[in-house]
Amino acid sequence: MNRRTFLLGGTSALAALSLGVSGTTAQTSDAPVNIVIAGAGAAGLSLASRLRRRMSKARITIVDAKREHYFQPGFTLIMAGLWQPDDVTESNADFMPRDVDWVEEAVAEFDPESNSITTSGGQRLGYDYLFVTTGLNLDYAAIEGMETSLIGQEGIASVYAGPEAAAASSRAMDRFLEAGGTGLFGRPATEIKCAGAPLKMTFITEDRARRQGRRENVELVYNAHNDTVFAIPPVNDKVETLFAERGVKVNHGHVLKALEPGSRQAVYETADGEVTMDYDFIHVVPPMRAPDPVRNSPLPWQEGPLAADGWIEAERETLRHPRYPNVFALGDVAGVPRGKTAASVKWQVPVVADNFVAETRGEEPVAAYNGYTSCPMVTAYGTAMLIEFDYEGNLIQSFPFIEPLEERWVSWLIEEKGLKGAYLAMLRGRA
Amino acid sequence: MSEFDPLSLFAILYESFGVWFWPAVILACLLLVSIIASVVLIRRKDLAFGRPVLIALAVGATTTFIATLLAPAWTHADLGALGSIVDVVAAVALALVPGAAAAALAFLLVAVISTGRRRL
Ligand SMILES: Cc1cc2nc3c(=O)[nH]c(=O)nc-3n(C[C@H](O)[C@H](O)[C@H](O)COP(=O)(O)OP(=O)(O)OC[C@H]3O[C@@H](n4cnc5c(N)ncnc54)[C@H](O)[C@@H]3O)c2cc1C
Repeated sequence: MNRRTFLLGGTSALAALSLGVSGTTAQTSDAPVNIVIAGAGAAGLSLASRLRRRMSKARITIVDAKREHYFQPGFTLIMAGLWQPDDVTESNADFMPRDVDWVEEAVAEFDPESNSITTSGGQRLGYDYLFVTTGLNLDYAAIEGMETSLIGQEGIASVYAGPEAAAASSRAMDRFLEAGGTGLFGRPATEIKCAGAPLKMTFITEDRARRQGRRENVELVYNAHNDTVFAIPPVNDKVETLFAERGVKVNHGHVLKALEPGSRQAVYETADGEVTMDYDFIHVVPPMRAPDPVRNSPLPWQEGPLAADGWIEAERETLRHPRYPNVFALGDVAGVPRGKTAASVKWQVPVVADNFVAETRGEEPVAAYNGYTSCPMVTAYGTAMLIEFDYEGNLIQSFPFIEPLEERWVSWLIEEKGLKGAYLAMLRGRA
Repeated sequence: MSEFDPLSLFAILYESFGVWFWPAVILACLLLVSIIASVVLIRRKDLAFGRPVLIALAVGATTTFIATLLAPAWTHADLGALGSIVDVVAAVALALVPGAAAAALAFLLVAVISTGRRRL
């Protein structure tokens, strides 16, 4: 037992409150329904745990080929050089609820017309209800010249590709700070998970350079995909102010199109045509889309802004598919505005579980998801802004004493020490 | 906060402490039982509470102070990160955990030593 463990108690309490720990009096249902959950990530495991406890006669099958489970918010702390890949790596088996069948294959095909899915191994599974929680696909291939094997080499970093890639990115960042030069940051034009992460990595690189006394040696440029760096206006203004104070140059309307790793050049699409920029370091954030089996199915939006990348059509308050009412989409794959964070999952899962249990009891489902999402926006080693907002872009304050737009150590404390315990408890359907 | 649920908090603490959860609970319980036992002992022996309480307060306050200064480092930050009252209050609140443990231990030790001396 050390002081670290001892102090965790207090931090966990804060994290619990920041995730909005809620105590609903959980109803149960005896309905003998056949449930399939596609994807054993944050949303899939959390939902399976909740439904298992509340629906003793339901048959629950979870389909996912992946055995490791990553605490993805920790990737940013790996790239910051503070955590190791081991700190974010868990095993899915440890969080799989008892009496849930785990088919260790991917879903290859969704066929909502026949209420069935087909796995990569060719198994056909029928269902009464389908919950799609496959997360999203990182489309690095959409950037010409880019592939994940380049991460950590030729000045290329990317925090999104996994814990080892985040660690390789950290080493690439250190080499860049030592050698000096130009560092490029940015984000794609698609929806992305944790939209704060590209900004966090910019702040961290800048702060690390300053702390090492090498700030003068590096020029940092943030290439925003549109005319803002963050979709919520007050947050955008604050981040742009901080960037200006810290000498981070911002270009708007720049979308990364191609990389030439050998000559260290990046090609951006802009309103005025293609622009080529030299770099010594680049943090690549890939376009993100629904996984192919989802995109190739009838489940995605057929029109509107969420159709192109295959996000699943879902009513924004209930996450129910409007065309296939026995299908729900939760987590990153859900075609709703904003919510691609673990914090959104935390709020989505109880709503869907409550409504589903109520419905199978023959009652009116009344729970509604308001689009809550949150992101502790790290602004330096030791400070963050606890940004929380809803569908309408209204800033929400879980703690009246933590101003969302102020850089605070207490918000950093939540990110660095509190969130992982809260996340793991969420996987068990306990938070 | 109206929906605050102690079961969720328990689950989060459990996950955060990992394998240290039950040892921490047992240690806290042992400390509590020993304090109650020493209070009973002091009463039985008709000794004054002043000395053990004062020493416990001094040790607790010192530990809390030191732990407050160390709290940012525990999160890979430096002391300068405590930039607002809220940050300082959070650091003190965290530091109160080891502070209280140290105070309890000090109380226990002084009580045991005092009652032992009296027996002699
Ligand atoms: C760098 C980074 C920083 C982040 N920071 C934060 C943060 O600070 N705060 C926050 O709240 N969130 C953060 N997030 C986002 C958060 O981790 C995700 O939003 C969350 O994990 C989404 O949960 P999910 O269940 O939808 O997807 P995931 O957790 O990604 O799980 C998807 C699962 O589906 C499986 N799957 C995929 N395709 C198939 C298929 N065809 N068949 C079956 N299974 C399939 C996958 O194997 C995976 O297990 C961050 C993410 C990253 C990458």
